[in-house]
Order: sequence, then structure tokens, then C-alpha cells
Amino acid sequence: MPYILNTNEEIKQMLKAIGVDSVEELYSALPPEIKLKESLNLPSGLSEFDVKKKVTALSERNKPLEKYNSFLGAGCYDHYIPAAVSFILSRSQFLTAYTPYQSECSQGILQAIYEYQSYICLLTGMDVSNASLFDGASALAEAVLMTLRISRKKRVVISSTIHPEYKETLKTYLSGFDFMIEEFVPKSDGFFDLEKLRDTLRNDVGCVAFQSPNFLGLIEDAEKLSELAKKVQALTVMVTNPLSLAILKDPARSGVDIVCGDGQPLGGSLNFGGPSLGFIATKNENTRQMPGRIVGKTEDKKGDIAYCLTLQTREQHIRREKATSNICSNQSLNAIGAAVYLSLIGSEGLKEVALNSFRNTQYLYQRLKEVRGVKIPFEPRFFNEFVWEVENAPKIMNAFYDKNIIAGYFLGESFPQYKNSILSCCTEKKKKSEIDEMVFSLAEVLRG
Amino acid sequence: MGELRFAKSHEWARVDNDIITVGITDYAQKELGDIVFVELPKVGDSVQRGSAFGTIESTKTASELYAPVSGKVAEVNSELTSNPQWVNEDPLGRGWMIAIKANDSSELGSLMDEPAYEQFIEKESH
Amino acid sequence: MDKENIFEKRESAPKADYVAATGVPLKKPSDVIPQKLLRAQLPLPNLGELDVVRHYSHLAQLNFSVDTHFYPLGSCTMKYNPKINESMARLEGFSAIHPYQSQDAIQGALELIYDFEQLLCEVTGMKRFTFQPSSGAQGELAGMLMIRKYHEIKKRKKTKVIIPDSAHGTNPATASMCGYQTIVIESDSGGLVDIDKLKKVVDDEVAAIMLTNPNTLGLFEERILEIKDIIHNKGGLLYYDGANLNPLLGITKPSLMGFDVIHLNLHKTFSTPHGCGGPGAGAVGVGEILEDFLPVPVVNKKNKSYYFDYAIKRSIGRLKSFYGNFTVLVRAYTYLLRLGKEGLLQTAHNAVINANYIKEKLKDYYEVPYPKTCMHEVVFSCTSQKEKGAAALDIAKRLIDYGIHPPTMYFPLIVKEALMVEPTETESKDTLDYFIKVMKEIDKEIDNDLEKVKDAPHTTPVKRVDEVKAARSPNLKWERTGV
Repeated sequence: MPYILNTNEEIKQMLKAIGVDSVEELYSALPPEIKLKESLNLPSGLSEFDVKKKVTALSERNKPLEKYNSFLGAGCYDHYIPAAVSFILSRSQFLTAYTPYQSECSQGILQAIYEYQSYICLLTGMDVSNASLFDGASALAEAVLMTLRISRKKRVVISSTIHPEYKETLKTYLSGFDFMIEEFVPKSDGFFDLEKLRDTLRNDVGCVAFQSPNFLGLIEDAEKLSELAKKVQALTVMVTNPLSLAILKDPARSGVDIVCGDGQPLGGSLNFGGPSLGFIATKNENTRQMPGRIVGKTEDKKGDIAYCLTLQTREQHIRREKATSNICSNQSLNAIGAAVYLSLIGSEGLKEVALNSFRNTQYLYQRLKEVRGVKIPFEPRFFNEFVWEVENAPKIMNAFYDKNIIAGYFLGESFPQYKNSILSCCTEKKKKSEIDEMVFSLAEVLRG
Repeated sequence: MGELRFAKSHEWARVDNDIITVGITDYAQKELGDIVFVELPKVGDSVQRGSAFGTIESTKTASELYAPVSGKVAEVNSELTSNPQWVNEDPLGRGWMIAIKANDSSELGSLMDEPAYEQFIEKESH
Repeated sequence: MDKENIFEKRESAPKADYVAATGVPLKKPSDVIPQKLLRAQLPLPNLGELDVVRHYSHLAQLNFSVDTHFYPLGSCTMKYNPKINESMARLEGFSAIHPYQSQDAIQGALELIYDFEQLLCEVTGMKRFTFQPSSGAQGELAGMLMIRKYHEIKKRKKTKVIIPDSAHGTNPATASMCGYQTIVIESDSGGLVDIDKLKKVVDDEVAAIMLTNPNTLGLFEERILEIKDIIHNKGGLLYYDGANLNPLLGITKPSLMGFDVIHLNLHKTFSTPHGCGGPGAGAVGVGEILEDFLPVPVVNKKNKSYYFDYAIKRSIGRLKSFYGNFTVLVRAYTYLLRLGKEGLLQTAHNAVINANYIKEKLKDYYEVPYPKTCMHEVVFSCTSQKEKGAAALDIAKRLIDYGIHPPTMYFPLIVKEALMVEPTETESKDTLDYFIKVMKEIDKEIDNDLEKVKDAPHTTPVKRVDEVKAARSPNLKWERTGV
């Protein structure tokens, strides 16, 4: 039997030491009517070789994104990951350790997470980050719950151009409380409706949540938004792509109270959407309302630098029903991965990844603009993705698929008002020739 | 200096006309261990007798602080935010927490005096 | 400069060029984005690859892990994480697919999810599973929100959730997030749910009971069927916190115990690595009555092809973007195939034998407050050691010096000076004998050389860490100091 080391002889010795004749005796506390009479209706175990063959065959029925000329983004981005990232994360002492509750034998984990927190603060300009959450969607939900605890109000304004699956997650998380969510549709130019916010925002709103770059790719004016929210003592929550912060102003400087999002663009694999990691960061005054684990730097008995989990009284294992959240684990390994990625690539490298993504996307935009039959509804104030329209968009996307091109994400899926719109993304991995090929194919498809 | 009264939840109250100063007892601070954080209400907030007015935390516990009388918060020891260790070092002095302007000072009648409290903790620790 | 610190290693290093520029026009952000929305500087370090690899390799060496040390952490099921799981999860066909690719290009992934669901349904007796939750806690949230919606649709006024005093802290925290009041029910003298007290508190407003079975004392709730009837008779439901399923694999099923909704921690029972605290995965299984409430989407099959089905009538919605921690599922699925039905049963047996062996060998040295036969874990109370001057914490820290990761301490809350030991089935008798020897040795040390125990650990990179300082003056991020 795989993974079990006790021999039959040892099992006998142990049962004898326990004082029973058989292992069944150890289960005498179970009422007989719930004990299975027969073995489970499952296959027998397979050899490692046979399992490998079977599972590998399943994997081969999927087509990795790299086999396409792909322009898919929409919350999951295909960036280059330096080989050293997965090498470090495969190390047993990161991969197979548990939460670092025992500081003395977990200093490496704790320091790596402290560095992750520091990186998130450097990128966002905030004072404090936690040790990570599950993903961008639950990070948004936790951030909004945080604002409602701080403001003690019950109304939330959210922009409808937040990632649709994040919005759905937020609604699920809030469904256990008596909170009200009001969704703001964007203006015709795709941006947050600041005029409506100015005219309708009332004192009972505790939170204004938006995404920038928003789901349509557009960079919002976070400063204006925060200014308006502050007038009614509402807190702002900004969802962002952390990579965009390599070139965009940090949210803290724009007056945002809590910034959150998905850390996948920082060296995370696509993984069919998970696992990635959620990040959340805020200003000092909100620290105690932040959910999840936090690592702090301190000293040991001798006065040497040491790290430990801290401010744990916020958490479920101490506060129980009064905790800030029920969250128990985080996505440490992915958070350490983000720290390793940022360390490898550095400030110059990160700017370059962001800039090359931006330039490729601008180039695609310029080229598509020239194609007859393509309409571009919004101005090019975007980072790495933008919206374009074409008649019969779903059909066009299928035609692209036949040419082994994924044109992007079909927006009509979640935004009925954009029924012929496609959201296309370029990362730094796109070659000019691939962009040219996509535009050339589109022209071909449109000619029929 | 007014007279000291004690609650079963281990707060002390010092009476000075209708102003009641509140903190936790030496016994309580020893039981809790190193205090790392104290969360207190704002001046002007209302507090209810027997209801929580704040929280006190050590690294591994969080406990509620209960008001010995109903009234309005008249003063808050805001220095505890940056010096929570004062609760350990001087619980009856620098470690005071809030001062309440009581609605009805006679509510204090139900609290214990010092010998009664000492008897009470004697029993509780056994 | 602090060379140990990633931010202060060196001023600059030559650029590594992980990806070359692609030849498109070099547009500037300020051409299309207003200057006031742009960033002036990005203060990250610039290092060489060797600097970084050495730094993190060094950090890795400072930790205990399952691969390097015995890790008997109660309730966390720190079993061996088979390496084939890792190779499978890293296959390009799993790790490099995008969640929005067309469904015909991800049939293998969908089939894996579908097949894994069938297997887990057989293991647990549940009707369907969702794999969206990222952890046990998020699984609890999903399960309890389904219960909430179920009662809402039935138009029943439900306000309370019953939770034993031995429960994991996530249970009451989850109940609060679902708007329920927590009613804590004390354990009886045997460490089990007190049935008489339970009968007294259960009324028509009870939405559910959240139970771990075996409970956190490692004891099987013998009267589970009575509990089931008490709750069901008042229209309440039973939630199973599956953190401790390991000893029951192939022995019984949560459905047979009467549970309506369950979560499984795939990172515990199904051997996926803990990764310093995550990612894990919480698979949530439901019986027929809650099937219509599952989060969207689920995977269904039609004419030999698999698809995401969003048409769930009364779905509670989503808990996550995309479809859950998919590559964690790949690992758990690989593990289940490898074990098969016989392997699951042997897993359960050896988990229980190992725990009882430790209990038996140590019970004369460390008090076992609930001395019945245990299941997968045993809880010791170090009260007699405490009287001699060494607390559970001191014993835990001293274990580190012997190369053993400390057990869970001070939990469950109802045991004083608790040490909760879960050896798991993958440890050998030799390892258990070593642990037993060390625990006896430490007990002796407490008599002969107390300071050595109280001062422990002695062999670690740092001595005991000042958690009070960390909490009083939080330093939560690196900042450039001085010039």
C-alpha cells in the first residue's frame, strides 16, 4: 500500500500495546448501523505509473494557452514566469510546511511573508498588507465587509465594471448580513459615473467600491472618486491589477482607503483560474479591522531580529464568533511566489513587463482601429486590455478559434449592453508578428 | 481621591461626585498577562451598566470591558493606545481607561468594596 | 545595511532580460494616460538571480516541514504529500490553461472535476459536490449559506446555530458571517456533545448544528444518530466539518451519520501540501435537499462531453472567481486514484492505530483527560507538568530541539494545557517510538533541568520570539531607515 510504512508485524505489535486484538475493536464507539458492511464502490488503487498515465492523458485533452495566439485576459493573465519561481516554491520546506504558528522553526516562512507584505505596501503605497487572502474576488468581499465594520453603515455603492465574478462573490459574502448593494453602471464612455455619484451619494453609504483599470480596461480617476466618497465619510475600495501599479499612481496617494485584487499577474501560473492569491492593503488606522494573518517583525529573547504572526486577536481561533472573518488559511505559497517573482524581476524588470504589456496593447488597438468594420467605443486610456466591437462578435470569435487564435473575452457574456464587444489583452509575451497575424486574420474573416 | 468599588467582571470604579473613573484590577491584569492593545469608546458615547464599552487584548486573548454604571463617556485615556503596558504596570493609576458621567450614581451600590472584592477573587482563584 | 533583508542586499544589478522587447512602437503611458494618474517612481530592489535564489533557499532552510520533520500537529492532518501529485499538478495541460478558454479545449480538466466528484460522492455518500471553496473555512461559509437559503425558501424563522465548545474557531465565525447567533453547547464529562443540554437548547429557531466527528478531542460522537434526530425533528440541518474525516475513510460515511452538508479539507485528508498555510481546497458535498443551492457553476456531462452548468435554480452564487483551486484538485484526485478503496481503508486504520499507540505509551506520563479509545488524534493535558513549572508551551518548544514539530497547543479550549497530537497514518512505528521516547525524556527533564525546558528551543535560528513586542508596536513592513 502506498504511503503507509507500518508493516503487518508492527501493526500487530502496536495493537497488542494498545490492548486490542484487532483494529475493528478501535471502532467500537461507532453505532453498528452506520458502519459500512461492504467496501466502498471505488476502483482499486493503481500503481504510480498507471496513475501517471491516466492523469497525464486527461491533461493532454486540454490545450494549453500557449498553443494559441491568445489575447485572453479578463482577470487571469499570461505573463512570463522566470524558471526560478517554481524552483523555489518546490522546495519542501516551503511546500510541505504548515502555517507558521511556531515561530522558532518557521523563521524563513515568516520572513518571506513579511517581505511579501512589504512588496504589496511598496506597490500600493499603503501602510499595511496582510499575508494574503484566497483570490481577488474574496479579497473584494473581505475589503467591503471591512469598510462596513469601520463605518458602521449598511449601504455599499459598487461600480458595475468590477470583474463580474468578483461582484457575484461579493454578493454571496454579503448575503448573510442586512447590507444593501447599489450598482452604478458606467457612463457611455466606459468610466465610473462621477456626476451621478456626486449628486446621489448620501450619508448612509459606508463604502464605494470600484476597479481600476476597470473590467473594460479603462483607468479610472481614483482621486476624484475618493474625494467624493470622503464627503459622506464613506471608505473607498479599489480593485486593481498589481502589475498596473508599476506605471500607475499608487492608490494610497489617490486617497483610496483599501486596495485589493488578485496577485496572479505577479508570477502566478494560470492554473485554470486557481490557486492564485488575493491581496489586500490599507492604512494604519484600519489595521485592526483587517482580516487574515499578518506577520510582524520583532525580536527574540536575545534581542536578535525575529518574525512572528501578530495581531492574532482579530482572528477566528481567538475571537470565534466575534472575529473579523472566518478566514483561517491564506495562500502563503502563492504569496511567497509573488515575493520571489518581484525580487527576481526587480523594479526595472517590473516596469518593463508593465510597459511592454502596455505598448503591445496600444499597438493592437492602433492596428484594430484601422480595420473596417471594427469600432472602438472608448478612448485609449488603458493599461493592458481594451474593448472593441464588431458585428456578430461571437461568430467572429469562433472563426478566430478555427485559425488557432483566441481574440479575447466575449463581453456579451456578462454585460448584455456590450453584446458585440470583445475584451482583448496583450502581455509582454506577445510578439509584434502575433498581433499582426491577429489583425490580418480579422480582416480576412470580415471579408468572408 | 474618591472611594474604590469593584465589579465581578474585575473592573474598578473610583467615584468622584458624578464622575466615575474606570479601569481593570491588578488581579485582572495579572490573569490577562501582557496587555498589547486596549480599545476604548469616544468621548460623548453612551455606555450601559453591564454592557461592553471596550476590549482589552493580550497576544492570545481578547476580553470585553464592562461598564459599572450607565452614562456618557466624559474622558478617555487615549494614551493607552500607544502605552498598553500601563495597564500592567499601574492598573489603578496610569492604566485608567475611561471616566463616565453617571446617569445615576446609586447604581454603584451593587458593586463590591475592597474587602468584599478580595474575598471574591480568593474564591474565584480556587 | 542588513544583508539578510531582500530590500537591502545591493543597490543595483544588471537587468536579467526575462522577456525581450517585441518590436512594437515604443509608446509612452503619458501619451494616452493623464500624467496625474501615473507613477513617479517604483522603489523595489534590483537584484541578480543568484542573490534571490540564495536568499530564498536560505529562508527555506530555516523551516520545519513534513518532508524534513515529524509534524504531529493535531487537527491539521500533516500526512506525507506524495510527489506524484506534484508532477501531475505541474503538467502544462493543467497549470497553463486559462479559465475562459472554450470548453472543447478544456475537456480533460472538466472530466477530472467530474470524475473526482463521483469518487467523493461514493466516499461520503453525498449527492453532489462543489469545488469552489478555497479552504475549509470558505467551505463552511458555502455550506452555511446554503442552509440559510434553504430555510429562507421554506419560510422558516431560523436564528441560531448550535456549536459544541470543542469546535474549531472557524465554526462560530462562519455562523456569524451567515447572520446566525451561536449557541455553544458544553461537552459532557466524556468529552462528547451533552445530549440532555442539547435537547434543552434546541427549538424551532435552530438552523443547524455544526459538528466535527470525530471531534477535536479525537473522540467519536457515539450518539450521533440521536443528535441527528433532535436537530432534524425541529427542522434544523446537520453541518459536518470534515477536518477529521481521515480515520473514517471506508468505515462509515457522513451521509450515514445523518449530515446534510459537509466540507472536506483536501489539504488534510487528501494529502495536498499545506504550502505554509495555503493554498488548500474545501470541497463541499450536499445531500439531495441542498442540491439546488450549490454555488455556480457545477460540471455536468452530456453526450460524452463535459460542460459548466450555471443553471442551478436557487444557487447561493459564487464564492470565488473561476472554478476553485483547480491544481489542488488535480493533486487530491491523483492521490485518490493511487489509494483506491483498499488504500483509503488502510489510511483510516493506520491513522487510528498510530494515535492510540501514542496515547497508550504516554498516558502514564501525560494526563489524558478523556481516556476513551481515540480516533485519529489524542489530546494530552500537561497540568501535572505545569505544576512542576513547565507549561504545554514549554514542552512544545522543547520538542523542536529534538527535531519534532510541536503538536497543536492549547486547543481544544476545554482542555487545560492541551497538546493535541495527530500522527497521521504515514508515519512509521519507528518515528512514533522516537516521539514517545522524547516526550518521556522531556518529562524527566522537567524534574531534573527545568530551565532547559523553559528556555527551549536551543537549536533554532532564533530563541523564543517576543510576541508581546510584536503586538504592542507592530512592524508589519520593511521601510528604508537612515541614509
